[in-house]
Amino acid sequence: MQQAAASASRKGRNVTLQTRTPGSPVVAERAPRRLNGGLRWGRVLPLLPFFVFAVAFGAYPAIQLVQMAFSHVTLANGAFTFEWVGALNLVDILENPAAWQAIGNTLIFVAGSTIGSLVLGTVLALLVDRSLVVFPVARNVFVWPAVIAPVVVSLIWLLILSPTAGGLNKVLGSFGVEGQQWINNPAEAMSAIIILDIWHWSPVVFLFIYTALKAIDPSLLEAARIDGSTEGQVLRYVTLPLLGPAIGAVIIIRVIMGVKAFDEMYLLTGGGPNGATTLVSLFIKNEFFDALNFGSASTYSLLIITLTALVLGIFLFARSRLENRP
Amino acid sequence: MTTTNAPLARRTRVLGKRPWTELSLIVLMLAAAAPIAWMLILAFLPNRAIVSSSWTFPFWLGNFDEIFDSTFAIQIVNSIQVVAGTVILCLVIGSISGYAIAKLRPPRWFLLPCLMVAGFIPLIPPATLVPGFYLVLGDLGINGTLLGLILLNTFFNLPFAMLLLASYFEAVPEELREASLVDGAGEIRTFLSIMLPVIRPGLASVGVFVAIMAWNEFLMALTMTSGGEASPITVGIAGLLQPYQVTWGQMAAAGTIAAIPIILLAVFANRQIVAGLTAGAVKG
Repeated sequence: MQQAAASASRKGRNVTLQTRTPGSPVVAERAPRRLNGGLRWGRVLPLLPFFVFAVAFGAYPAIQLVQMAFSHVTLANGAFTFEWVGALNLVDILENPAAWQAIGNTLIFVAGSTIGSLVLGTVLALLVDRSLVVFPVARNVFVWPAVIAPVVVSLIWLLILSPTAGGLNKVLGSFGVEGQQWINNPAEAMSAIIILDIWHWSPVVFLFIYTALKAIDPSLLEAARIDGSTEGQVLRYVTLPLLGPAIGAVIIIRVIMGVKAFDEMYLLTGGGPNGATTLVSLFIKNEFFDALNFGSASTYSLLIITLTALVLGIFLFARSRLENRP
Repeated sequence: MTTTNAPLARRTRVLGKRPWTELSLIVLMLAAAAPIAWMLILAFLPNRAIVSSSWTFPFWLGNFDEIFDSTFAIQIVNSIQVVAGTVILCLVIGSISGYAIAKLRPPRWFLLPCLMVAGFIPLIPPATLVPGFYLVLGDLGINGTLLGLILLNTFFNLPFAMLLLASYFEAVPEELREASLVDGAGEIRTFLSIMLPVIRPGLASVGVFVAIMAWNEFLMALTMTSGGEASPITVGIAGLLQPYQVTWGQMAAAGTIAAIPIILLAVFANRQIVAGLTAGAVKG
């Protein structure tokens, strides 16, 4: 799983590199012995700061997390005390219907926002690629939603969706349509955060697919056209299959982003109404900081990390099997 | 498809062929920009115009006056400090470590764990580490401080910064480094006065992208600071944002102040941002 992740990020780097330096020659492999500038520890030392950071803020909190997950944690005089209780926290959390609801909500949210942004982002990329006039502007504008702070994105959509003063109800009102409750209704609230997420993050899909489109050898498309394929057939049988790896990578990225999502529903819906939009991140934050159930919040965190790793592992395994198919 | 050597003729012909592509792009651009534009408009309207059902647009600057009290100003300064600290740390540590990965051939027993960790950090939902972070910052005695936020932001952005900078260093020909070493410059001098200037575009990409991520960060700011004057601007905005609050204009004004610098960056530093987004999306 770690290796897969490393390879995914390496893929991302390569894509960027190709777009930035299209004609850069591959540096010929030189003799293994290289000049050493005289630093005795020169090969380990420069990586050490990163390593220290990773251990201090990655490994140490992770160990604390595991310790808390199996302990009864109490906060007294500003210090935490741990008392080993084994799997009791896990039992607690599994018996909590709200914990299951958060997992269910997250599944719906991840599925909706991933599929939605994948379709929209791919359409944007194909359109910008086909366009001959407006594409320079479009390439710029389609990045905007992704750089705005999630907090501000929530605010923007609250200004649009608020039942009392939102712009959408105002527009509907001008056409004589009764104002809707939007974020105050469970199903509509979930749709709202999914639409918000699609608006916010389709740009990332767009950029990935667009970069991959630019990397396709135009002679392949020409060949298909010369052989008499219609534009639709070229898209279906040449372009989309060639985009396969990029689409796979983007799906992984969007699923991870979906599981991490926090700001949107925290601010737009507050996880409500009645927990209908409480995703796992918000559940953890509520358990830890509001309900002060430190132990079960940690257990739940571990559970989510494990589940995410499991799902990603299965997906990557299936993908590698599919790609290696003769 | 027929090809011709006259570019202008071809251009006009194909333009005529693809009006729907251009038209749908224009519609989609409006859809992407409209929500942002709506916030900008509301920022300059008084509340009664916002909640009224008729469409009137009396221009008003009062929203900015009302939000710009001392707390808001301090929060902006806090955000700038967090951004500056995070960018500096990410560039310094990221370029040294990235250089090591690309050019110095660290031993495998050390390189592999580092790469694995760098690949793994972006996969962990930050919320799951919040309990652990809370204890670590407490142990370090920097709970609730800006330094704590800088270190956490650096932790989340460093893997991306290091790997992207490593890819830029990899593209620098080995001869350049060797020439410098042969000419008698030490490893450190070679790094500082030869390699770093060569990869300036990479430093710009990482700097711009990390700055945006740090400016936008909310979860850590919310959970690790006590709010008010101790918090960055994202927490301040979130404080204004309550479903039943009636200060719509002030909310829009605060959002505008936070969004404008970022959108200007997106317009004028688009290339750097695109490089960062495609390479750093896993980090999200």
